[in-house]
Amino acid sequence: MRLSFTIGHGVPKFSLFLRPTLSRHLHRPIYSSSTLPSPTSQNPQTPLFLRPPTHRATFSDLRKWQNWAKTLALSVGSSFVDMDNGPDSTLLCRELKWLIEDVTEDGSISETLHNEEPERTVRLRVGLEELYKLWKQRIEERRPFQYIVGCEHWRDLILCVQEGVLIPRPETEKIVDLVGDLFSDNQGLREGLWADLGTGSGAIAIGIGMILRNSGRVIATDLSLLALEVATFNVQRYGLQVSAGRGKKRAVFLFSDVIQLRQGSWFEPLKDVEGKLAGIVSNPPYIPSDHISGLQAEVGRHEPRLALDGGVIGMNDLLHLCKGAASMLHSGGFFVFETNGEQQCKFLVEYMETEAGDNFYNVNIVPDFAGVPRFVTGFRK
Amino acid sequence: MSSLISRKRSGTIFWVLSQNSGITAQSVPFLPFSSLSEPQPGDQQPSRSFDFTNPVQNHTVPESAFLTTSLETSKTPSGCHCYHTLSSCFSGSGSKHGVLSSGHSVSRINISGSEHGGRLPFSLFRRFSTATAIEPSTSDGLTVSGIIAHDWTILDESENDWKSHAAAIAQSIHVIKKRLQWKKMMVRLDVLSAELNKPDLWNDPVHAGKVSREHGSLMGKMKGVKAFEQELLEHIDMIKLAREENDPELESESLKALLKMRRKSKEKELEALLSGEQDPCSCYIEVQAGAGGTESMDWAAMVMQMYKLWAQRHGYKITVVDEMSGEIAGIKRATIKVDGEYAFGYAKAEVGVHRLVRISPFDSNKRRHTSFAAVAVIPILGDGSTRVQINESDLRIERFRAGGAGGQHVNTTESAVRIVHIPTGVTATCQNERSQHQNKASAMAVLQSRLDQLEMARQAQMNAQHTQSLTDITWGSQIRSYVLHPYRMVKDLRTSYEVSDPDSVLEGDLDGFIMSHLSASLDKDDNL
Ligand SMILES: C[S@@+](CC[C@H](N)C(=O)[O-])C[C@H]1O[C@@H](n2cnc3c(N)ncnc32)[C@H](O)[C@@H]1O
Repeated sequence: MRLSFTIGHGVPKFSLFLRPTLSRHLHRPIYSSSTLPSPTSQNPQTPLFLRPPTHRATFSDLRKWQNWAKTLALSVGSSFVDMDNGPDSTLLCRELKWLIEDVTEDGSISETLHNEEPERTVRLRVGLEELYKLWKQRIEERRPFQYIVGCEHWRDLILCVQEGVLIPRPETEKIVDLVGDLFSDNQGLREGLWADLGTGSGAIAIGIGMILRNSGRVIATDLSLLALEVATFNVQRYGLQVSAGRGKKRAVFLFSDVIQLRQGSWFEPLKDVEGKLAGIVSNPPYIPSDHISGLQAEVGRHEPRLALDGGVIGMNDLLHLCKGAASMLHSGGFFVFETNGEQQCKFLVEYMETEAGDNFYNVNIVPDFAGVPRFVTGFRK
Repeated sequence: MSSLISRKRSGTIFWVLSQNSGITAQSVPFLPFSSLSEPQPGDQQPSRSFDFTNPVQNHTVPESAFLTTSLETSKTPSGCHCYHTLSSCFSGSGSKHGVLSSGHSVSRINISGSEHGGRLPFSLFRRFSTATAIEPSTSDGLTVSGIIAHDWTILDESENDWKSHAAAIAQSIHVIKKRLQWKKMMVRLDVLSAELNKPDLWNDPVHAGKVSREHGSLMGKMKGVKAFEQELLEHIDMIKLAREENDPELESESLKALLKMRRKSKEKELEALLSGEQDPCSCYIEVQAGAGGTESMDWAAMVMQMYKLWAQRHGYKITVVDEMSGEIAGIKRATIKVDGEYAFGYAKAEVGVHRLVRISPFDSNKRRHTSFAAVAVIPILGDGSTRVQINESDLRIERFRAGGAGGQHVNTTESAVRIVHIPTGVTATCQNERSQHQNKASAMAVLQSRLDQLEMARQAQMNAQHTQSLTDITWGSQIRSYVLHPYRMVKDLRTSYEVSDPDSVLEGDLDGFIMSHLSASLDKDDNL
């Protein structure tokens, strides 16, 4: 296994501040999901939609599976909703349609499956047997749909995910919007160095990286090696880091990358850039420990505890980040942290305004799309 | 023998009509073709020519272009010489080529001059006349309307039967004429000709220019159709001649030419039927179940499926945008996006209420049920069109909100977005995309098209049915009936077109219904 990120903070400082040169422009990526190059690494697992369609089944057999799967989905009714706010049959049926979209070559086939010639064969990206197994896992084990197909559609991105890596949430899309809005009237921050702490699948870093593209850079960190591997896969798929796979020459690697991945706990891998960051973004674990057991099955039973558990009141990591932010950001630098809701937001605002010294201004609570106070934002004086 | 020669002069194509192809180039001045078919501002009609009727005009008209031509008639069908001149598109939109080729038909009319007894041959040389409106015919007097009247069976293309080809072509010409509002056009041409022949016309050059431009453009369209008719008749003449002279080679060649013409005329017919401004657009198709619970929701789902399959046959891309399922089966309503050329042009023929009669599988007593589903179609305007400007501040964006604490607590693939345009109350919902971001983008696109449609309807005060939204469609306006029991039949109530195999229709074989409706809508205003 080759790790395509740097461990600790052993990166020569100079490299980070070199302006991007020609080489970055040479590697212009294409975003269409099907044409993106898929990196060759064995782990992370390849999501279904990127696998080659090497399996075959007749339409009639595929239909049989579909009917079986649908019946299973319908049998759920609202029992999961009542149990733990899980998915209802309508949603499961929609997921079934997406699953067919991902495993067939022609994704729109699910719309007309029932009218295809029964004996004609269709090419699939996994075998029928596997499909039966996968859907069983979905219903019986409540395995998250995104782990089944190996990806999550987030903003306009398709991010690969797998067990051990948090599935990015729609609420978090807003962090990218907030940063994007900031860029539109602050060119300085746009050209700066950003950090996404606890990057998971790389969602926020890639979202921001796509906006930065030819100006600033993002360092994405995580404690989990698996998360970093998956993030690397995603970052490369979107052409934000093109060199890791061929990587002997460090210099090329650094010139052409918008996003750099580093392993370590929170600020620890960032010692070399202390006081130099234009922005810090993070969605750290924030669920109070004793809530974990009562979570929706898809979350509690399948997603990594490391990504969710924020300690007794859920604020261990948030507080750690708030404490460190002042020394990491340069003057005028921006931060945004996602929280569990109103209580945590208020707590953090008070902390930033009083205990964190006189270091921040414009400290604000920003609600998510559902109106829940979700983010705390502010600027370094 | 008269012939047509095309020459290129700095990008403009000139058609030259001459009596002798060998010396045409030297002896005949050129008529800038564009002044006839596609008048440019400032263009004037030819000013000096053989005008026996109004010599005064020569002095009052500014000189800008010249037409000098002499015509000679010939008794021999000469169609083979002008195949290449018939590329004109005469559906009315920007025809550029070959219009004057129908000048050729002017000469031909003299041959069979019997039909317009009163007119003197030289009246053909009058520049502003509608003399060419006289119906051309074959040497033995067969005309295009004659062919239609014969009602020859139209067989498959592969059946190489000249009567069948001829009948198909005549049928297409008929539709094209309807689309051009042929009768009205003739009347208008007469009015314009009269106007142009007034001696004092050019006292008001602006008005004169307008009149002559319109005259030129209508003449162009008319001559285009005439030339097409002429070509058909000439092929027929050739076939007859070949048979008389026992020349199988000539016969098969002419048959081939006829088949080629048949294919082209079908294209032209389609173009004529789909010449509305929005016809080439992609569109949304929406289906909503009528009252009647599960049975009608099931019917709505069947109708939607029918459109998906129809779209698939056409090679259109289908995306489900919005779908509200019924509790037990079927859909309450759904919106699909149909991407592809002319999707709107065809689909608009489906707007209205569709009725189903069958023994309901949801009725344990096996009773016969009648249910309804309403269909609306919304064009997706292209980038070129002016679209309604939407103010961000006029929108209320509602998103699916996961119950409970949200964020890391919840993992759901539900990401529906609903957008309300506050000033109009128009809404759009999307929940079939896989991210909230994409659902919002899709819902915005639907909203945009709904507002565009609303605006089009408002501006044009168009009450055309296809501009109706689902909420406007009254349940009374049934367009089609699908009966599965006690007999089996699908019948269009607008055109009486019917099919005895409902399964094929429900599997998307809708084009017969669509085409017959499109062509019937041309009849409405008595266009022929
Ligand atoms: C809630 S997840 C967020 C993932 C991603 N940013 C997103 O929004 O989808 C929190 C992430 O923080 C990482 N993490 C947990 N403890 C950490 C630590 N001490 N240092 C760095 N990352 C940590 C987890 O591995 C996980 O990927």
